[in-house]
Amino acid sequence: MYNNVGAQRPGQQPPFPPQANPFGTTFSGAGSGLLRSGLTAYGEKIFGSSSEYVQSNISRYFADPQYYFQVNDDYVRNKLKVVLFPFLHRGHWTRVTEPMAGKISYKPPIYDINAPDLYIPTMAFLSYVMLAGLTLGLYGKFTPETVNWLLMKGLVGWFLEVSLLKLTLMSLSSGETPLLDIVAYAGYSFAGISLALLGKLFWRHSYYILLPWSCVCMGVFLVKTMKRVLYAEVRSYDSGKHHVLLLLNALAQIPLFLWLGNITVSWLF
Amino acid sequence: MPKEFTIPPVTFPTSNTPTPTTSTTTTTPQPPHLHHRQPPTAPFQPPRPSASSLPFMSFDIASTSANSSSSFFPPPSSTSSTSSSSALFAGEEPSLLEELEINPSLIWRKTLSLIHPFRLNPSLHSDPDLSGPFLYYFAFSLFQLLAGKVQFGVILGWLAISSIFLYSTLNFLAGKNGNLDLYRSFSVVGYCLLPIVIYSAASLFLPPTPTTAAFLIAAVFVVWATRVSSRLLAVDELGASEHRALIAYPCFLIYSLFSMLVMF
Repeated sequence: MYNNVGAQRPGQQPPFPPQANPFGTTFSGAGSGLLRSGLTAYGEKIFGSSSEYVQSNISRYFADPQYYFQVNDDYVRNKLKVVLFPFLHRGHWTRVTEPMAGKISYKPPIYDINAPDLYIPTMAFLSYVMLAGLTLGLYGKFTPETVNWLLMKGLVGWFLEVSLLKLTLMSLSSGETPLLDIVAYAGYSFAGISLALLGKLFWRHSYYILLPWSCVCMGVFLVKTMKRVLYAEVRSYDSGKHHVLLLLNALAQIPLFLWLGNITVSWLF
Repeated sequence: MPKEFTIPPVTFPTSNTPTPTTSTTTTTPQPPHLHHRQPPTAPFQPPRPSASSLPFMSFDIASTSANSSSSFFPPPSSTSSTSSSSALFAGEEPSLLEELEINPSLIWRKTLSLIHPFRLNPSLHSDPDLSGPFLYYFAFSLFQLLAGKVQFGVILGWLAISSIFLYSTLNFLAGKNGNLDLYRSFSVVGYCLLPIVIYSAASLFLPPTPTTAAFLIAAVFVVWATRVSSRLLAVDELGASEHRALIAYPCFLIYSLFSMLVMF
């Protein structure tokens, strides 16, 4: 056995670049290839192929983000309509499943209007930051530092919403929903807030109409979505407890929206 | 006949020399050694014709002057190209701008192509370049300085963060075949800063911001920048028809943030 190892060693050494070349660089030949392949492997691990991620343990907590960005124009437009006017959504709210290698997985957002995605929440969050900065600028209080504070405020609001949803799900079910799903659902609230801020820019009083409207819409959206999520996870459906918690969720949106929509320089209040 | 060099003789320890302790007095060799030693020659000496048309590659150091000016690896056809190779190798270097890869004519052409918001030739921007964006960054910061705002660091930081954000978002959107690399993202974001630079220069003379007219002017410049950058980024497979608005919206956000720096 040891003889085998010893015999293999010389053959496995990579061929050295010819030493007669005094102008050679350090990355010639085998070196750069190893470096590049290493970086490729690492990069694939982060933005990697979905099959590897699904089969690893991490997938329970942090699913492959690539899934959430498979969107197109039509999906974005229709999803915004669903988020901002959930009463008008005539279809069903359940996600379309497809059986894949024994595990049930959901279809990506291109094929399914009810699937969560991360593009809309991210863009809505940044629109919130931009519109809030614009609002502050109209009061004459815009500096580049305020953008940082607004980002922080938005992130804290997003985090609060995520923790609210996660607590609800954990108390009602086994809590196996991937975290990025919950992050996506929470981020949809920024679409409504951005709409309210946009209205505020054009006519001050439209804010007092649009903000309660988006509160109610987000509440309805969350209730319907969480109900489907719970259906998918829980065996026994104890309707009383579920309904109470879902309603509490919807009501909790009101103070959250009021806080996020209130644009001032000191971000806490 | 090779030249004979007069080399100071060296003693090599052989079996018949006495031990060093006894022969420290003398360092000169014995006469019989001189006979055995050959004068140093090159290991392989080809038969050298006196006047040959074909110069032979030999390792003789004291060779003719034609070969001495070439480098360690002389070119295969050395007669015709010694003059040209000596022009490159013997002391002349590329100019400083070339070494730094700053190509002013390319920057100028790219700038001109960006001025038309509707007719854009995206192939010019397929090789990314960071020297143009650097110039735009400096011009932007200097115009802001003229307006009384010292924002050098802010603009640089925002440029960097927005390029990274655009790179990650667009690669996520494109899926497996996303080939936008970070360098190109920086280059596109930097080049499309041009309308904002023009806006910041113009805002020194235009009416102050809280008026509607100022917002409209800002909107024009932001839309111009968005249009140009989404055209440039939509060159590869990303730019399929289903993603046009999805690419344009992050660019719109980025340039509206920059224009807010100018406005307020």
